[in-house]
Amino acid sequence: MRKYLVGLVTAMVAMASGATSYAADEEAFRDAFLSGNLSYDDVLARAAEEGEVNWFFWGGSQALNTWVETSVSAAMAELGVKLNVTHITNTRDAVDLALAEKATGKGLGEGSVDAIWINGENFYTLAKNDLLFGSFAQLLPSSQYLFWDPSDARSGANLFDFGFPTESREMPWGAGQYICYIDTSRLSASDAPTTFAELEAWLQDSPGRFTYIAPPHFNGNTFVQEVMYAHNPDGTGHAPFMSSAESLGSAEIARLITPGFEYLKRIEPNLLGGSDPVYPKDQNVNETLVASGEVDMACRFGTSAVHTGISNGTLPPTTQNHLFPEGYMIGNKNFIGIPGNAPHPAAALVLANVLASPDSQISRLETIGYEIGIDAPKLSSTDLQRVADGMPPLYGVTLEGLGNNKVPDTNASLVDIIEGVWMEYIERGDTSRSLGQIVADVYNSKYGS
Amino acid sequence: MTITKNQRKKQASSGNRLSPYQRYYLIFIGIAVVVPFVPVIIRAFSFSWFWPSILPTKWWWEARENAWQPLGWDYIFSGPSHVGEAIINTVFIAIVVTIVCTAISLPAARVIAWEKFRGKSAVEFFLLTPLIVADIAIGLGILITFLQLGLTGGYVGIILAHLIPTTPYMVRVLTSVFQGLSRDYEEQARLLGATPLKTLWFITMPMILPGIMAGGLFAFLISTNIFLLTFFVGQGNIVTLPTMLFAKVIGGSSLDTIGAEVALILSLPGLILLIITERFLKEEIFAKGFGG
Repeated sequence: MRKYLVGLVTAMVAMASGATSYAADEEAFRDAFLSGNLSYDDVLARAAEEGEVNWFFWGGSQALNTWVETSVSAAMAELGVKLNVTHITNTRDAVDLALAEKATGKGLGEGSVDAIWINGENFYTLAKNDLLFGSFAQLLPSSQYLFWDPSDARSGANLFDFGFPTESREMPWGAGQYICYIDTSRLSASDAPTTFAELEAWLQDSPGRFTYIAPPHFNGNTFVQEVMYAHNPDGTGHAPFMSSAESLGSAEIARLITPGFEYLKRIEPNLLGGSDPVYPKDQNVNETLVASGEVDMACRFGTSAVHTGISNGTLPPTTQNHLFPEGYMIGNKNFIGIPGNAPHPAAALVLANVLASPDSQISRLETIGYEIGIDAPKLSSTDLQRVADGMPPLYGVTLEGLGNNKVPDTNASLVDIIEGVWMEYIERGDTSRSLGQIVADVYNSKYGS
Repeated sequence: MTITKNQRKKQASSGNRLSPYQRYYLIFIGIAVVVPFVPVIIRAFSFSWFWPSILPTKWWWEARENAWQPLGWDYIFSGPSHVGEAIINTVFIAIVVTIVCTAISLPAARVIAWEKFRGKSAVEFFLLTPLIVADIAIGLGILITFLQLGLTGGYVGIILAHLIPTTPYMVRVLTSVFQGLSRDYEEQARLLGATPLKTLWFITMPMILPGIMAGGLFAFLISTNIFLLTFFVGQGNIVTLPTMLFAKVIGGSSLDTIGAEVALILSLPGLILLIITERFLKEEIFAKGFGG
C-alpha cells in the first residue's frame, strides 16, 4: 500500500505545503562532521537539539519491534532524542520515499527518513542516486568494535555490501546467514536434502513438499543466488558472482547462470502447487506453510528464526534448523543507512552509534536472539562472555557447521539481473525467447546495449 | 447490518408468529453472524494452533509463564503494541465524526423531508453518491486534494474524510424520521407562542431523538471501521484499530494471535455502543430507516 502512496506523494508533494528550510545549517554540520572537525560530543549536543529521529525498518517481527520500542527507545531518550519508528513491509518503500522527496527538491534537513535498516540492492539504489549522507561509520565511537582494515579478510563484510563498496556510508548493525528449517515431525534431519541434487531427487519422491520465497524479496533472491553458485559451470562456486554485471557482460552472465536456471525450471513442477507453483511472498507466509503442514522445509535469512518461531507459537516445537545447501549458505551483514535528505542528521548518527554499541547488540542478542553485527574479536572479554551466554539455541545446527558452509553474497548489480531473469523465465514462464536472449534483454534494459 | 439481525433476533424471541421460512432464515443469519467469529475468538486465546488440530495445540495462558517476550494479550496490553493509542484514536475520531455528522445532517434531513424544491431528487441522489462510488476512488481523490490543502497526516483530515461515508446514512435515517413526523407539532407549538429555539428543544428534539441515536450509531460504527480513508489521509501517522488490523493481516500469512486479538478489540466499541443505545431505540426507527 505504501508504494501507491509514495507514487502519489511524488506527484503531489510539489503542491503540498513546503517545509521550512534549514538546509544550509544542516549542510554545514554534515561537512564539519565528515571532515572530522566535530567530536562525538558535538554530535550528541546537536542531536538533543534536533530532539527526534525517524527510523524506518521492516516491521514484520513482533519480537524485534518490542525490543526496539523498549530498549532502543530508552537508550535514545537518555540522550534526549525521541525515537519515531515506522514499520514498513518492504525496505524498498523507505528508499522510494527518500527518492521521491529528493525528486521534489528536498535536501538535507528537509526529508522525512533519518535512518533505514538496509543492505544490498536498496543501499546500492541510494548510492547510485547520490542519496547517502556520507562516509560516517568510521567516525563514530562504535566503529572501534568493527574491522575496517582492507588488508584484513575479516573486514570484508563491513567494507562490501553485496559486493558493493560501503565506503563507511552505512553502519553494520546485524549479521545473518541464509538457512533452511524442517519440521522433523514429517521430515527427519537424516532424510532432508543437503544438496540441490538431493533436493531434486527428494522432490521427485515427495512432490509439493517444498517451495521457496519469490524474488524480488531478498529471501527469494538469496535462494536463487545459492542455486547459481552451486550450478556454476566452471565449478568455482560464488567466485565469479562477486564481480559487477558490467565487468562480466551479458554473454558471460548468461553462461554462468544458465545451468542454475535450468535447474530451477526442472524442479518447478514438483514445488508446492505443482503445475501452478506457489512462491510465498515473504518469510512469514512461508512459515505459515510449514506450520500448517503444507511443506516440510523452508529457507530464509536468520539462524534465530526457528528459536523465535517456536517461542511465540508460530512454528511447531518439532521445527529444526537444517544445513542446506552444503557449502553454499550465503552470509552477510545488514546495516543502518542514513539518507542524504535526513531531517535530523545528528540524531541519525547517534542512533547508528547506539545501535552498533556492544550494550545494544548484546541486549538484542539476549532478548530476541538476533546475531550480533559487530565483530566479536573486537569485544572486551566481559562482553565476549555475555555474547557466548546470550546465544539462543540453534536447534539442530552448530556454529561450526554454519561457519564452514558460509559464502559471501552476490554483487548487487548481478542480483538485479538474476532477479529480472527469474521474473521472466520462471514467474512469467516466457518460452518464446531463449534463456540467453532473456538475460541479454534484462541486461540491456539496465545498461543499454 | 448488526442492527437488523439483532432486531430480528428480538422479534424471534418475542413471538411465535414466525413462519417456518422466517425461522430458517433467522437460524441462517444467526449462524452467518456467529460462526465466523468462533475461530477468531479461539485464535485470540491460543498460543500455537497447527493443522490438523481442531483446537489450539497450546493455549495462550499455558505458554505465557515461560515466555521470554510478552505473548498474546500481554503484548496487546504492553506499550510497544500501541493498541491503547489505537483505541483512543479510533474512539476519539468516531465521536467527533458522529457529532459533526449529526450537526450537518439534521438541517439537511429536515429540509429534504418537509420541503418541496426544484432539484430535490437530484440532491437526494447526490447525497447517496458516496455509497455508490468505490472507496478507493474517493480515497485517491481526497488524498490529492488534501495534499494540496496540507490536510494529510492529521486528525482534521481524517475526520473530514470520515464524514463522506457517514453523512449519507445519517441523512437517510433522519429524513425518514422527519417524514414520519408531521410538522403540525412544530406549528402548533409556534402558534402557542414558543420561540423557534424552544420548539426545537421541547418539541422536535424529543421526537427525533431515537432517530439521532440510530443515525449516530451508524455514523459511529462506520467511522470505527473505516480503513482505506484513514490510511490514505493519515498517511500511516495516525494509527487506528482498522489500520492496525490491516497491517497485521496484509502479510498474507494466516490470522495470528495478535491479529485475532486486534480484530476482537475492533468489534468492542460497536458492541458496547449497541448495548447502551438499544434501550433508547424504538424498533420502528430502524424499520423506517431502511424502508426510506
